[in-house]
Amino acid sequence: MAPTLVRHHIGNTVRQIIFIILISVVLGAAVNFIRPDSIPFVETWSMADNLVTEDGEALAIPLEDAAALFADNAAIFLDARTPAEYEKGHIQGAVNLPWHEVDNYFETVIMTLDPEAMIITYCDGEACSLSHDLALFLKDLGFTRIKVLVNGWTLWKGHDLPVTTPSS
Amino acid sequence: MLQKKSSIDVPLTIGYHFTRLVMAGVFIYASIDKIIHPDLFAEAVFNYQVLPGYLVNLTALILPWLELILGACLLINRWMAGASALAAMLMALFVGMIIFNLARGLDISCGCFSAAPDDDPITLLTLARDICFLIFSLGLAGLVFIKNTRRVR
Repeated sequence: MAPTLVRHHIGNTVRQIIFIILISVVLGAAVNFIRPDSIPFVETWSMADNLVTEDGEALAIPLEDAAALFADNAAIFLDARTPAEYEKGHIQGAVNLPWHEVDNYFETVIMTLDPEAMIITYCDGEACSLSHDLALFLKDLGFTRIKVLVNGWTLWKGHDLPVTTPSS
Repeated sequence: MLQKKSSIDVPLTIGYHFTRLVMAGVFIYASIDKIIHPDLFAEAVFNYQVLPGYLVNLTALILPWLELILGACLLINRWMAGASALAAMLMALFVGMIIFNLARGLDISCGCFSAAPDDDPITLLTLARDICFLIFSLGLAGLVFIKNTRRVR
């Protein structure tokens, strides 16, 4: 194993990696440029921006607004996570409506909700889509005032807002 | 230039072509759906929650092509030094991302072989599969290194 061969191999490796990356960048950009269903090269992504209904209405509600509604007792909070997660801790007074078993909760939860009431759904984590899916589902059912508190559980806990935990 | 013949050459050659073709298949197969659906793949990239928002679309546009070109190089046995090293680096990156998101309990789709956000959630099986691919890629890079540095005049 001659040192010159090793140096030569490393040089080749670096050069070829650069070539492969350059070709990919050029092809990726060119194809996106000409295809009809292209996407913008740069787009600001945030979960809240994605939460828009078909008619363009923003679904996300800022934490301050949700907390204000909570303080006025003016909103119903729906926890879209699993019952096990809900049991470990949830926003005080929130009702558990697990998105994955939403059918089982139709009579016990959904039928008891006032269609005109302000409803705020939440789950946990920026990327959690349960609350979003639940909100759109309820909107389809005819509920009119629905909002999503993105990353709800983490934010709520982080701001020391009232929660219910097994110990409390 | 002549290849120095020795008794270990045959298994090394078999191992080289085997890992080369497997990884070529993996990368090419993985790239197709993502190239067809850049919008869905961008969503999968965003869901990993590791990139700043403005890099999401660029990654979703370039990465699948990188996989395709890299897979093509492996398939036609060209630029093997760069392709095998890049394959190992990408697999290490993917394994790292999967461990990171499994550890923080993010419930997201893998975006590994399909761009669709609904299927293929990341699990320990995904991790095990990608670690296998990482070992293959590292092995291949090692074999390419041996092949390129053992030549005698």
